Amino acid sequence: MAEPILLTPDTEFIKNVLASGGGDLKKCFQCATCSVACTLSPEDSPFPRKQMILAQWGLKDKLLADPALWLCHNCGDCTTLCPRGAKPGNVLGALRNQAIQHFAAPSCLSRMATSPKAWPLLFVPGIVVFGALALWGPKEITEPREFANIFPLHVLEPIFFAVSGLVLLAFAMGLFKFIKGLRSSGADGSILAGIIPAAVEIMTHKRFKECGKEKNRFWGHLLTLWGFAGLALMGTVVGIGTMAGFMHTPLAWTNPWKIFANVCAAVVLVGGLILLVDRLADSEKRKATTYFDWSFLLILVGIVSTGIAAELLRTGQLVTAMYTVYFVHLVLIFALFLFAPYTKFAHMAYRTVAMAATRKRT
Amino acid sequence: MDKKLGVYICSGCSIGDALDTDKLAQVAQKEYKAPVCRVHSFLCGKEGVELIHKDLQEGSVDSVVIAACSPRVKAEAFALDPCMVQERVNLREHVAWCQKPKDEDTQMMAEDYLRMGIVKAQKMEPLEPVSDEVSKAILVVGGGVTGLTAALEAAAAGYEVVLVEKQAQLGGFVGTLKSRFPRQAPYTEMEPADLADQIQAATYHPKIKVYTSTAITQTSGQPGQFDVTLLKDGDTIVHRVGAIVMATGWKPYDASKLGHLGYGLTPDVVTNVEFENMAAAGPLKRPSDGKAVESVLFVQCAGSRDQAHLPYCSSVCCMATLKHSEYVHQQNADAKVYIIYKDMRTPGQYEKYYAKVQNHPGTFLTKGEVDGVDKAAGGKLAVRVKDTLLGESIQVVVDLVVLATGMVPNSADGEAIRQLHDAQAKVLRNESDTQRQEAEKKAEELKAHEGTEILHLTYRQGPDLPLLRYGFPDSHFVCFPYETRRTGIYAAGTVRAPMDSGHAQEDALGAAMKAIQSTELAAQGQAVHPRSRDMSFPSFFLQRCTQCKRCTEECPFGTLDEDEKGTPKPNPYRCRRCGICMGACPERIISFKNYSVDMIASQIKAIEVPEEDEEKPRVLVFMCENDAYPALDIAGMNRIQYDPSVRIIPLRCLGSMNIVWIADALSGGIDGVMLVGCKYGDDYQCHFAKGSELANRRLENVKETLQRLQLESERIQVTQLAINEYGKLPVLINEFMDKIREIGPNPYKGF
Repeated sequence: MAEPILLTPDTEFIKNVLASGGGDLKKCFQCATCSVACTLSPEDSPFPRKQMILAQWGLKDKLLADPALWLCHNCGDCTTLCPRGAKPGNVLGALRNQAIQHFAAPSCLSRMATSPKAWPLLFVPGIVVFGALALWGPKEITEPREFANIFPLHVLEPIFFAVSGLVLLAFAMGLFKFIKGLRSSGADGSILAGIIPAAVEIMTHKRFKECGKEKNRFWGHLLTLWGFAGLALMGTVVGIGTMAGFMHTPLAWTNPWKIFANVCAAVVLVGGLILLVDRLADSEKRKATTYFDWSFLLILVGIVSTGIAAELLRTGQLVTAMYTVYFVHLVLIFALFLFAPYTKFAHMAYRTVAMAATRKRT
Repeated sequence: MDKKLGVYICSGCSIGDALDTDKLAQVAQKEYKAPVCRVHSFLCGKEGVELIHKDLQEGSVDSVVIAACSPRVKAEAFALDPCMVQERVNLREHVAWCQKPKDEDTQMMAEDYLRMGIVKAQKMEPLEPVSDEVSKAILVVGGGVTGLTAALEAAAAGYEVVLVEKQAQLGGFVGTLKSRFPRQAPYTEMEPADLADQIQAATYHPKIKVYTSTAITQTSGQPGQFDVTLLKDGDTIVHRVGAIVMATGWKPYDASKLGHLGYGLTPDVVTNVEFENMAAAGPLKRPSDGKAVESVLFVQCAGSRDQAHLPYCSSVCCMATLKHSEYVHQQNADAKVYIIYKDMRTPGQYEKYYAKVQNHPGTFLTKGEVDGVDKAAGGKLAVRVKDTLLGESIQVVVDLVVLATGMVPNSADGEAIRQLHDAQAKVLRNESDTQRQEAEKKAEELKAHEGTEILHLTYRQGPDLPLLRYGFPDSHFVCFPYETRRTGIYAAGTVRAPMDSGHAQEDALGAAMKAIQSTELAAQGQAVHPRSRDMSFPSFFLQRCTQCKRCTEECPFGTLDEDEKGTPKPNPYRCRRCGICMGACPERIISFKNYSVDMIASQIKAIEVPEEDEEKPRVLVFMCENDAYPALDIAGMNRIQYDPSVRIIPLRCLGSMNIVWIADALSGGIDGVMLVGCKYGDDYQCHFAKGSELANRRLENVKETLQRLQLESERIQVTQLAINEYGKLPVLINEFMDKIREIGPNPYKGF
């Protein structure tokens, strides 16, 4: 028999989980109804019963390296059926938040991004950068007015590409630690080989569909993801296009890229609103939703709505309003990107990697 | 004295449709010359009952046979003077409702039952009411929460109480607690363990006499007339009481046997009782060095639910540990409390307390098995746990390990003590070397029982209550929980079964009520459960007694003492009227005025056995009247048909069956005999604890006799049956009949 391992519960960690949406964690009495009810739980290593006791015992390292956290899609079936009201779905959500905070580097940024008290700080970098650009940057006024008059693209694009580089670096550091953890917990699937099938699974929302209830969340999340992916693609293409000089903004309304971008924005807006309304309408979900969830969702919806508003204002040439709203739009995008590794945004990366690492070789 | 027999036949409830009641009346009038025989279509109605009462008033009738429904129904309608000779013949449930109507066999069956009823009534004598001077005072043994409650409740009901406590103070175990776990809504807050109010109420109650630091040195007599000798400060006091409530409580399981869980390794491994005392005494500290306690590990089921120690669950340890967990966190909110359990058992509303305590961030629970406890650095203890819910074997380092040990009843094994004393006496007699050696061996085996007496009963069968399993006094946990096998002595609280203090208080009420009932029934010369209100008593024709001691040995209730020669000395109030002694007696000298060997034998003779060529076999069925007989009633109510060749005779208990009846039946041409009794063994359902088992044992001897008579032993069958198995009973009867037909007719027919 293997030597028994020495356990020391991390009470600080338990308190963090309790405070970040897993408030009913301690009620679990290990009946495993949740693991039976879960449609996504694999037979050979079922969850979330075991994750519940690991969390109750405060076994942080073991838990945060556990890919099961990311296999859960938070449909809430376990929470509905839990006879003790321990809400395993919410606990796993809280644990995912903890995992993102734990792996992201540097940890000071992580603490800032997840502290509700520090919310204004999320927007300070954007306000400083774009405020400086607006006040002291080069200006080239054209008629009709364009955003580039005040926020010239040749300045914006390098800023965003630079930020993206930093963000990718931070993600890489976080994922490196995460993958090390995954390996120690026994998830040994090849990530390179698994990443494409995992991405396909994510894009088709196959697992979301298996979730027992919550049709709204399926559509909300699907639309948000697809719209966001479209916008990301479009942003990159336009960025590269303008810098290389073969594209010029504003694109004409009839330009296929323009049409694509507008459709994507509408799709994200609809998806985001479905998710927002879904959370607000259900008192249980409202209670379980933390700052970590709200900040991400609100910034996302804010970005598309300010984007659409700015576009309309530009068309109407309402000059002051158009620049103001566009400024807000830029600040929000900056916040989303800059803090991506530390906010809920990061779940995209962790989930994809975890799903890749646990794929069964067939 | 010739009886003036009145036979009343009811033709209602489809009895009249199934049977020719006029022909039945002729049986009574012509065969038995009954002076009065009436048929009525609604005998239990006002008019029918008046018919009986009018005949009784006029004096034309002094003994009554009612041939109608089962004796288990319409008892109120047919209630007559309880001392009068009366017999019920079951024509409804056992004939009309379960046999083909207007059939020759059905009519024969009814006629036989009527004959059997009439001959039994002819043999019966009127009962004579007994009216001795009895005490209605109640002795409560043990001044813990159970004893205090029983004493206060009995006193409140108006009965004198003598409360005896061995310790210097009342209060028992609960009196030593820091707090009690919640026993009332919302079931989340600990309750004070203060028994001061109850102790004061008992101490100053005008009807309660409290003796502390007192032992019982002798209990003699019988219900209503127990003489209890107390020893207090060297003085002897004798009290006469009517009934006894035994509330002697429990002691913790001996933890020195739990070395595998670390007990004895360091002073920091304690039992839950020791932990409770530590908490009650002041702030919790490590016993070894007085350092602060920052982590505690509780081992649940320490020696419980373990075949090597206590095989049972003590039902309170889980709640106690949850409470202890609160003690720890009240003192230090950051302390870590580990609970290793087999199953958390917090039945009913107690679940709410489990949920509350569990919710503390510093409480860590897992199912698991403690694999070992070792000393660790810093004066700590390292506990290894395997088979955990965490999926692997773990090790936890803690300041204190608490073993949640179970309850052992404070009882004494009366039967074992007697065996010990018998063996010791035999050693002294030194009759032969082999006998002495055997007795010495036996005495050595039973040595642990030396001096364990609590009640010091002067009963022939031993000085304390008989035990059933695990040291708990024998009682029936469902049907008669407080009733022990010593009439008038009622066990309550943790001596009866493991329970918490709340349940012990409820238990005290039940036992106090049974004790009161027992004295009241004794005052009227009536039996207690299960033959409550029965006024018959066994009588012994001692001139013919051979001192074989079977009756004194076999009575499950220790009714009979012995003189020096071994002649039985009855104590009528200890008797439960089961008739087991009557079944035991080879000389057949024990009988009741309304139940005797002769009466049943006459009933058997009254059965008309058809000649061999008629191909109508006859089978006699002796049925326990507590389970099997009512089961057959229920079969009748459900109109389940069975073979009409059987004749049922109800017995007070299958243990009252005297084997002479079987010989009578078979020599009279009856083709087979069935016995249907209750389940016996550790989970017995026998209302008289041992009756069914004894019947089964006696039957072994009968089968040998049969073989000598060259009769097939298959002609006798004994079965155990519960009251709810009424569907099975007709099947059993039919199967047995098939077997008898296969064996062929009894060769002794017609002799």
